[in-house]
Amino acid sequence: MTAPPARPRSLHTRTILVLAMRNLSRQARRTMLTAAVMVLGGALLIFSFAIGDGSHENWIDSGIRTSSGHVTVEQPQFRVSRKLEDRLTSAQRGEAERALAMPDIAPLVVAVSSRLRIGGLASSAAGARPAQILAVDPVAEARFSTLDDQVVEGRYLEPDDRLAAFIGVGLASSLELRIGSRLVVQAQDTENEIAAQLLRVVGIFRNGVPEVDQTVVHIPLQVAGEWLGSDEDVTNVGVVLQGSEAVGPVTRHLETTLAEPITRGEVRVMGWREANPALAAAIAIDDFGNYLVFGILFLIIAFGIVNAVLMSVLHRHREFGVLQALGLTPGQTGAIVLVEGLTLTAVSGFVGVSLGLVATWYFLGDGLDMSALVGEDMTFSGVVIDPVIVPLFRAVRIAQVVTFIVAIGAVASIYPALRAARIDIAEAMKFER
Amino acid sequence: MTESNIPAVRTEGVWKIFQQEAEEVQAVRDVSVTIERGEFTALAGPSGSGKTTLLNLIGGLTPPTRGRVWVAGQEVSEMSNQALAQLRLEQVGFIFQAYNLLPVLTAMENAEFPMLLQGLAAEERATRVRELFARTGMAGLEDRRPGKLSGGQQQRVAVVRAVASRPALVLADEPTANLDSASSEALLDVMAELNRDLGVTFVFATHDARVMGRARRLVQMVDGRIDSDETRA
Ligand SMILES: Nc1ncnc2c1ncn2[C@@H]1O[C@H](COP(=O)(O)OP(=O)(O)OP(=O)(O)O)[C@@H](O)[C@H]1O
Ligand SMILES: [Mg+2]
Repeated sequence: MTAPPARPRSLHTRTILVLAMRNLSRQARRTMLTAAVMVLGGALLIFSFAIGDGSHENWIDSGIRTSSGHVTVEQPQFRVSRKLEDRLTSAQRGEAERALAMPDIAPLVVAVSSRLRIGGLASSAAGARPAQILAVDPVAEARFSTLDDQVVEGRYLEPDDRLAAFIGVGLASSLELRIGSRLVVQAQDTENEIAAQLLRVVGIFRNGVPEVDQTVVHIPLQVAGEWLGSDEDVTNVGVVLQGSEAVGPVTRHLETTLAEPITRGEVRVMGWREANPALAAAIAIDDFGNYLVFGILFLIIAFGIVNAVLMSVLHRHREFGVLQALGLTPGQTGAIVLVEGLTLTAVSGFVGVSLGLVATWYFLGDGLDMSALVGEDMTFSGVVIDPVIVPLFRAVRIAQVVTFIVAIGAVASIYPALRAARIDIAEAMKFER
Repeated sequence: MTESNIPAVRTEGVWKIFQQEAEEVQAVRDVSVTIERGEFTALAGPSGSGKTTLLNLIGGLTPPTRGRVWVAGQEVSEMSNQALAQLRLEQVGFIFQAYNLLPVLTAMENAEFPMLLQGLAAEERATRVRELFARTGMAGLEDRRPGKLSGGQQQRVAVVRAVASRPALVLADEPTANLDSASSEALLDVMAELNRDLGVTFVFATHDARVMGRARRLVQMVDGRIDSDETRA
């Protein structure tokens, strides 16, 4: 016999690929069915991740705008003491504001509002109620807060307002206040004396979070400075960012720029997770729930693939027997099945992820209106849930989903591939009469 | 021993016992046989006498329960899966009782598959297959898939597949079972010619008197044993 020429390995590889592709197309219906499951799964995953992330971003935005921002700069004791004495001096405030205006991070910053938050008492002829008094720069705060968009009567504070107050519907009804009504606020001043200030209601808002509507009172910072003797000092510099993903870089930037006062223990920089632990926990719990659902979805997809690939293998014993009788090794035979499974997952995964992205992109503009499910005024831990969810597009999610789909494909194909490799050739080739 | 003295096939006290629930089936019992290079041997015997099992043992498709098997001087019963695959690829052509074509490949692709794995050039493969197809009445059916071929046509493709790569040894299990006499004769002509011109060794398991008539050596099996073994001049 003439010795056959040396066989390049690529030849077998190509043969394996051709056989795998032919098998997929021969079993078109099964292939399509499996692919459909994966496509649906992939699309669903991408889309629901985007919706989940989008609604969380929404919660964060809503939560931080009624509190201290994505990032807050404050005196370290203030969060616990809530006392006026634990405030930032106007010099420290200026330093923080300048740091935020630096060109390398300015593009990440949407709004900066330096404010003085004081606990006090609001009273009218009708009675007295505890109040969260927030003394603000009206222009800066209007960009920071959502309250100025939630006016139900009157208007938000304006730059040359004197002795003006912007209050919630709850407080307005308990104290029987209307636009133009007089209101007295009392709090401890910088000398630890109780000081009172007369204000006039210029606007009433309705936020939806009962606690906010009952207690929050916005007044001009200048008025507070004179009333309490705190001048230009503030209790925190709140920062709203482009998105929660900017919290890391901005926090690091501030910590470097304000390193000196921080080491002296005069200033502290905090992200929203630290400042709003309840909100962070709520998101973590919701995320866990989502992951659980995704996990189950993954299992269903994996089961579908294992089933499809395995069924096809069980019906093809004879074929694998032939291949091995003709000179393919068990490994090469298994490789055919593996290539089939991986191709199926790769292609349908790609289509699925693309579909998911298209769906995400479609709802990117107007969002997905869930008001039928959520109801109008859902709130928790200081967050108003917006029933219109705008999906959030995050590259890391695509990577996660793709990785997972490929992993499923690999795992789901390994067992069938082993079955194909380990068949009993003589048994597989048996002649059935 | 020079290479030409090495027999194509040798078995020594080989047994194959299948465990069927409680009872055991002795499909091949203590068979010692030597088949020299260039033989044209028929393996006859009643149904269930162990012909297919013996061919499977020789081709390394099933391991012996006891005993040893050599093909071209290499001990099949000791080989790794890789070495066995290599041996089958380079030396052995199989024709199965149930033709066993690959359903996703056309008649042409099936027939040239072993040559493809051996790395033969496309023109060479096509030339060999076309010639054999023409001689066996398969011309014009090259592009059909097995599902669209009759039993006899599939069998002819299987035979062409086994011989086109010109292996040293062809193990053929009932290669003519589903063929009319003209087709059988055509296939036997092709095989006899390969045997004469290239020295390809053929071992047939068969019930077909035509095949037995052409064989130079006739081995009869009964109940897993060799009952008679005669070589004609
Ligand atoms: N996998 C198996 N398990 C159990 N018994 C088997 C198995 N394969 C074959 N046998 C038995 O071994 C014996 C020999 O079978 P084999 O197929 O070798 O016979 P054969 O001579 O080829 O018959 P035929 O002429 O019908 O093809 C039979 O009794 C058969 O039932
Ligand atoms: Mg048989």
